[in-house]
Amino acid sequence: MKSFLKIKDLSISVEDKSIIRNLNLKINKGEVHAIMGPNGSGKSTLSNILAGKEGYNITNGEILFCDENLFELNPDQRANKGIFLAFQYPVEIPGVTNINFIKTALESNRKFRGLEPLKPGDFLKLIKKKAELLEIPEDRLKRQLNVGFSGGEKKRNEALQLMMLEPSLAILDETDSGLDVDAFKIVADAVNSTRSKDNSMLIITHYQRLLERIQPDFVHVFIDGSITESGGPELAHEIEENGYERFNNV
Amino acid sequence: MVMKDLIMFNALNIDSFDQSFDNFSLLSEERKEAFANFKKIGIPSKRDERWKYTDLKNDIRDINFSLCETNIEIKNADFDKLEVNEIDYFINNKDLYFRPVKCLNDEGLIYLNLSYSNLFKVITIRETSDIPVIIDIESFGEGMSFPRILINVLPGVKADIQIFNRGGLGFINQLIELNIEKNSSIHFYRFNESSSIHSETFLSYLGYNSNLSFTNLSLPKNKSRLQVFNSFMGESSSAELKSISIPQIGCKDDFLVHNNHIESNCTSIVGMRSVLQKEVECSFQALIDIENKVKNSKAEQDCKAILLDERASMNAKPEMKIFNNDVVCKHGTTIGSLNKDQIFYLNSRGLNKASAEKILLQGIISEYISNNSPLKSFLPGSYK
Repeated sequence: MKSFLKIKDLSISVEDKSIIRNLNLKINKGEVHAIMGPNGSGKSTLSNILAGKEGYNITNGEILFCDENLFELNPDQRANKGIFLAFQYPVEIPGVTNINFIKTALESNRKFRGLEPLKPGDFLKLIKKKAELLEIPEDRLKRQLNVGFSGGEKKRNEALQLMMLEPSLAILDETDSGLDVDAFKIVADAVNSTRSKDNSMLIITHYQRLLERIQPDFVHVFIDGSITESGGPELAHEIEENGYERFNNV
Repeated sequence: MVMKDLIMFNALNIDSFDQSFDNFSLLSEERKEAFANFKKIGIPSKRDERWKYTDLKNDIRDINFSLCETNIEIKNADFDKLEVNEIDYFINNKDLYFRPVKCLNDEGLIYLNLSYSNLFKVITIRETSDIPVIIDIESFGEGMSFPRILINVLPGVKADIQIFNRGGLGFINQLIELNIEKNSSIHFYRFNESSSIHSETFLSYLGYNSNLSFTNLSLPKNKSRLQVFNSFMGESSSAELKSISIPQIGCKDDFLVHNNHIESNCTSIVGMRSVLQKEVECSFQALIDIENKVKNSKAEQDCKAILLDERASMNAKPEMKIFNNDVVCKHGTTIGSLNKDQIFYLNSRGLNKASAEKILLQGIISEYISNNSPLKSFLPGSYK
């Protein structure tokens, strides 16, 4: 199978502190991978690196996305080529309405793919449908982007953007944190509905509960900047029951 | 002659004063009195606390002391509901001629305006109207101009006022008074794209339960200053000022606001948003002044400046003079470049750096100028 995302011998540091060490990971089209690890193990750094955030030193290795060197692409180019990061802490952007922002992002994405922008009516119909699935009230679409949103509202909004932009690789950075039980189910099911043989997901989480609703093909244990063990969903159950102690000693 | 500043007035003296210009025989005694006071105080200098960021003395050094042509046109108003007078109003109400200096008796520029004011408009808004009062002030050529506008809003009136400053190559010393009587509410919009060195003093007198909402869009093409003095003279009055400053490259814009809480239960809110390109300088000076006997006051000051270039600069000086404990006050200032996390967030959704920056700047502006605002159409294209 053709490798969709390939991380090879990747090492990353910040101000001489090593964060990611000799990481190797392959994700094929249609696969869902989960990364689980304790706090401070470098999981969010990995998601930021994939999305193209500045401020990290790449000391070794490469990342290929559809055989293209990811490090040669700007964050916006990565996004338009299909990489989507659902942020752990989405930022607030005052003065920019949620709906206008999503429309602008979708137009940029479609333009990149050589598609015409959606007609205003079609866009409205689409976003209302997706928002309904996530139980996002219509007035929240007109509010300023993430401004005054609760943690859960921000996460739902990230899921809405994911559903609207239909990326080929979705990276979910602790999307389950900050969600109450009901919201968690709604968001997880909505994200799960986007799953297809043409797209892949990389789920970063602390908890097995998300992986019950979005069943991963592979689970990786991420300790101290590298994958110490990979396996199937049973690995997540083990972590849920016994924690990371066994993996710390690997 | 004892005069603090002779730089630009060396051709003038008090004896030849009323022969200096046509029509100055009108209100000549009042003008002489004002000029005598001006001589004592002089042109403001950077030594004056209120003027520490504006070097007016130096800026106007080379400007000829001759009047330039200036027009004040009142457009698009519901003329059945208002009354417009000119200098005759002050001839019949001489006490009101000096009202500005009753509020502010140490400001040389006000005395100078009272000495030489050559253009008067006194607008009395008698009834509520949906049609805005549009005041267009345009200057032509070099020289100086001293427009004076007094707007009286009678009790219980709701009105929109829009004022536009344009043109000129010299020095404009403009004085505007807004007298809002009890239970009245005014939306005041100011647009400034003056190419003169522009100094404007805006004085508002707020009566009982009156409200002023003031939005300023300043895109100066030279050095510009707006100083606002709000006097909360009636209980439960309130004023909200929002100012946006986007000076053109190499230009300067200063914004000073004094909110003087004279009566209890009043609210004052001041905010400035500025976007500064290369070689642009801005300042924000805001004072909350709450007197001893004044209770239950609310006051806020907030300034956010985005520096788009290393050669841009912003000075912010929030001040509070509060003599009563029964008050809720807050202030905050942020000066810096655009937030990198916000840019990254937008990038991560497929927007390139230029689009992301544009959206963030539009967001900052749209906090103050909504799609429905009459100022929206005057925003530079990239901010719309």
